[in-house]
Amino acid sequence: MDDFQSAEETAFVVDEVTNIIKEAIEGAIGGNAYQHNKVNQWTSNVVEQCLNQLTKLGKPFKYIVTCVIMQKNGAGLHTASSCFWDNQTDGSCTVRWENKTMYCIVSVFGLAI
Amino acid sequence: MADVEVAEQPPPPSNTYVIRPNFQHKFRPVIVKECIHTVLNEHLDGKSYDAEEIMDWTKNIADDIKKRLKDMGYERYKFIVQVAIGEQRGEGVKMGARCFWDSDTDNYAQDIYMNDSLFCVAAAFGVFYY
Repeated sequence: MDDFQSAEETAFVVDEVTNIIKEAIEGAIGGNAYQHNKVNQWTSNVVEQCLNQLTKLGKPFKYIVTCVIMQKNGAGLHTASSCFWDNQTDGSCTVRWENKTMYCIVSVFGLAI
Repeated sequence: MADVEVAEQPPPPSNTYVIRPNFQHKFRPVIVKECIHTVLNEHLDGKSYDAEEIMDWTKNIADDIKKRLKDMGYERYKFIVQVAIGEQRGEGVKMGARCFWDSDTDNYAQDIYMNDSLFCVAAAFGVFYY
């Protein structure tokens, strides 16, 4: 019996996380148009859904999920992140998504325990 | 007598595993928030939105905050700093975060800077490494 987990099973796999984020955004926002009173709900839904799926992966990570939703009206938005961590084990993943009326930027940071 | 008795060596200390930060080294949101506040003011005071330069600003601010956090001497903490700068045109923006971590040791701080032409949100997360 081999009880060791393979590297793949305990690593932060960006592709996997990207899919989780995309699905969470599609599920929470989908084709809706920007509505001021719904944005609170949407951001919560996106981060919650992401975190739910991430924890289901059962990997030894702590996760941080951030989400920005911005209405499209021609204004610019930039985000940057700077991290101090172990490059070998920790990872991040950012997805930019948009529909006709809004932008949504979700970042996930995974820190190995 | 020339013989000097050698003092007996104390036994080597048993392993001391650190699984909680010392009280004085704990990530304190209030102090970090103050630090973020100063950095944002230093970088953005009197500036107005400029699409060309904004890329550098976001990066510089994030790096600067990270650098200061490292200088604050938090032992065994990993840091994540996220900065978002947007143009102020009356659009609606919502930023949210949720974390899956040890709320006993890990924490975050955030601050906002706003002027007539831009807004900036900076959040710093400190995660304890066991």
